Amino acid sequence: MNYLYFLYIEFLSRHNIPKLFGDITFYIIPFCVIAAALIIAVLILVLAERKLLGFFTQRKGPNRVGFWGVLQTLADAFKLLCKENITPKGVDRFLFNLAPVIIFIPVMTALGIIPYSAEFTFVNTQTNVILYLILAAFPVFSIFLAGWASNNKYSLLGAMRSISQVLSYELPITFVVLSIVVLASSMNLTGITLAQFSKWGIFGWFIFPCILGFIIMFISVLAELNRCPFDLPEAESELVCGYNTEYSGMRFALFYLGEYAMMFANSMFISVLFLGGYLPPFGKYLFSSSFLIYFEQAFWLFLKAGFIIFIMIWIRATLPRLAAFDLLKFSWAVLLPLSIINLFIAVLIKMGGLV
Amino acid sequence: MDWSEFLRIFNDCELDGNKIIIKSKLREVINFVIANYTYNMLKEIIANDKGEGKTELIYHFYSTDDEEDMFISITVDGEVESIADIFKSAAADENEIYDLFGVKFIGNENLKRLYMPEDWKGFPLRKDYIQDDTRLAWNDDNNV
Amino acid sequence: MTITTFKLNLGPQHPSTHGVLRLVLELEGEKILSCEPDIGYLHRGMEKMAERISYIQYLPTVDRIDYLAGCFYSELLCRIVENALGVELPDKVRAIRVMLLELNRIASHLLWVGAFLMDLGAVSPFFYAFREREMILRYFEKLTGQRMMYNYFVFGGVRKDIDYLGDVEEIISILPEKIDDYEKIITENPIFLRRTKGKGMLDIDTALNYAVTGVNLRASGMDYDTRRSDYLYRGFDFGVVILDEGDAWARYKARIMEMRESVNIIHQALEYLKISPALEQKLINPVNLKLPAGDYYAEIEAPRGLASCFVRSTGEDKPYRLKWRTGSYYSVNLLRKILVGEYLNDAIAIAGSLDIILPEVDK
Repeated sequence: MNYLYFLYIEFLSRHNIPKLFGDITFYIIPFCVIAAALIIAVLILVLAERKLLGFFTQRKGPNRVGFWGVLQTLADAFKLLCKENITPKGVDRFLFNLAPVIIFIPVMTALGIIPYSAEFTFVNTQTNVILYLILAAFPVFSIFLAGWASNNKYSLLGAMRSISQVLSYELPITFVVLSIVVLASSMNLTGITLAQFSKWGIFGWFIFPCILGFIIMFISVLAELNRCPFDLPEAESELVCGYNTEYSGMRFALFYLGEYAMMFANSMFISVLFLGGYLPPFGKYLFSSSFLIYFEQAFWLFLKAGFIIFIMIWIRATLPRLAAFDLLKFSWAVLLPLSIINLFIAVLIKMGGLV
Repeated sequence: MDWSEFLRIFNDCELDGNKIIIKSKLREVINFVIANYTYNMLKEIIANDKGEGKTELIYHFYSTDDEEDMFISITVDGEVESIADIFKSAAADENEIYDLFGVKFIGNENLKRLYMPEDWKGFPLRKDYIQDDTRLAWNDDNNV
Repeated sequence: MTITTFKLNLGPQHPSTHGVLRLVLELEGEKILSCEPDIGYLHRGMEKMAERISYIQYLPTVDRIDYLAGCFYSELLCRIVENALGVELPDKVRAIRVMLLELNRIASHLLWVGAFLMDLGAVSPFFYAFREREMILRYFEKLTGQRMMYNYFVFGGVRKDIDYLGDVEEIISILPEKIDDYEKIITENPIFLRRTKGKGMLDIDTALNYAVTGVNLRASGMDYDTRRSDYLYRGFDFGVVILDEGDAWARYKARIMEMRESVNIIHQALEYLKISPALEQKLINPVNLKLPAGDYYAEIEAPRGLASCFVRSTGEDKPYRLKWRTGSYYSVNLLRKILVGEYLNDAIAIAGSLDIILPEVDK
């Protein structure tokens, strides 16, 4: 970030703008960038999901609005904006309105701590990983508020399921992340990315020593995101729409947006931990100019995240939903022991000096 | 099936093909039939309005072992014993007959209006039922 | 410790009640303590209607009793009239009717497979099943002009001669492969097995006590299929699918296997129809049609269990009383028992596996 900061200050001083202005705006710009990028990313994601689901189920997917249906999600978002915000009788108005707003705070912050490229990390602390773990589990608080405030039994059941699900899948995630921290000897996401650098490219990535951890992490993230096959909190055929049953219009759109943004953030997090983050897969960069390399790095990260999202959508098209009991049992009886084993493996590898 | 034993015990019954017409003692007859014959399924209960508040109930039994149908017919006067505890499927049929014919089944506590609204007057499949549009639920002043 | 329970209204507007079934569930957490089905949201007074109009006026409406398998109910009404007047159907009419009934059964089962998997949360099989169902509906549309309410069977025969046999041939040549595909994606899927194996156990005695018939009964191990003694199916060689497990998985598997049997029956009917001469049938004149006084009863194996029709005629041109028996009505009654003690998301799977369709329940 320092490099960009100096570029920015230098740019301002060339136009005789005081440094103080630059100091203040430099920390506002990233959030505007994130907000804009997030909305665009979600629009693309939703379209990608619908298109891919269409292909998986031998349909065309959205294909009317714009060329090849590309404007469909934009139209949907516009429709949601114009819809009436219905507040049902008997809801706790304050919490009901608060919940969709709250879901955005962790998502925005989580996107802020991802290292997009060597210089492009908005919040770069020494213990980014811990911060991310907290932020990733935070949306459940909003879900809980939504379920509680809605005065609807389906919402309440959905929130109940969501909380138990996140609580039980948070532990395996923590253990897996710990094993990565051990391997990388760093709690900083940039540090973890750099620890995966090797001249053989792809073979330096932590997915190879921690393939078990990758699978556990992927499954747990699916559960945390309430994605199929763990979509019990919003199981359409059971709980109508789960915790956001009573939400409409913009509030519903915020939940929707938050969910997809979290999916985007989490898949980038997995890419950083296991797939070498912004590192290229063959050891060296395509471009030689240092400026273009930043974009190339971001491109690799998005490509890896996109691959993970593709698998998520693929799974959604294939698998039925788990039973509620199996879901908890699977976490406590299968994933948690395996993640501890994975941690041991990581420690052994570290002791053997293989990484 | 050999019905001579049955006809000896219940001597006021008539046998007509595979249909037995009984006058009363429905539960006794059905208990006897289940105990002594292989009928294990009550396919349905058919109700017919006989006029003057009388309803004919035809209990349609089936034996999966002998693959035979059998009908027990009884004409009742607005009330009859329930057999929902013997055949669980009867609970559904009795409820339907209560709703459409107004026959009360003594012993079946789950009787309620099934197809008709709760406050519906009259029983539509009776012949004395007058179809009157003003009695439709959505024309009722109470239902605005 | 006090146990707090609450009531949950599942339906009538709910994505997985397949229409307008309302289940009043008493829940403790997600465990179901009692279930009270509430039906009647789709009641159209089919039986009352029959008492006021003549038989031929009534014939087009009976398709609506079960919009997924309308043929079966028009067949029942036709059969009542034919039996009452002592009309024998020519072999060709029988073959046509059998072929259409079985095609309709496949269409109905396909929709069920899709909807059931949708209940379990799998999206794709729904579309795959609809793709094949579409072929069948297209054929029906070509033949009868309607996709769901065919009104093709008339008293004493069928409305017009069979046609477009090539389409049927194509359908039955594609279907077995497609059913294999479903089995590949569904049957051995571990999540699917966990959701359905051992869930919603239904033993023979309970099933018979609740008068549950059709596939649900056969999946519990009872060998009962009225097609065996049905005069329409005389001369056809087919097996009856009987599974012993009695759980939701068996009900799924039985329907899949039954579709294969139906393909087999259609194949035989098709072979016969291809070489048979043009249709010669003696239709019953429906104008001022009067059935002789007496009781008439007919039954048929519909996709959702035994369907039967009872008609009492007093010699007039309208029935004095007409009663339908439909399979789903008794399956709904079974929900009272089978859902108790289950958890909410199993309950959806179990209720789905019974193949309840509401127009049939409400008549």
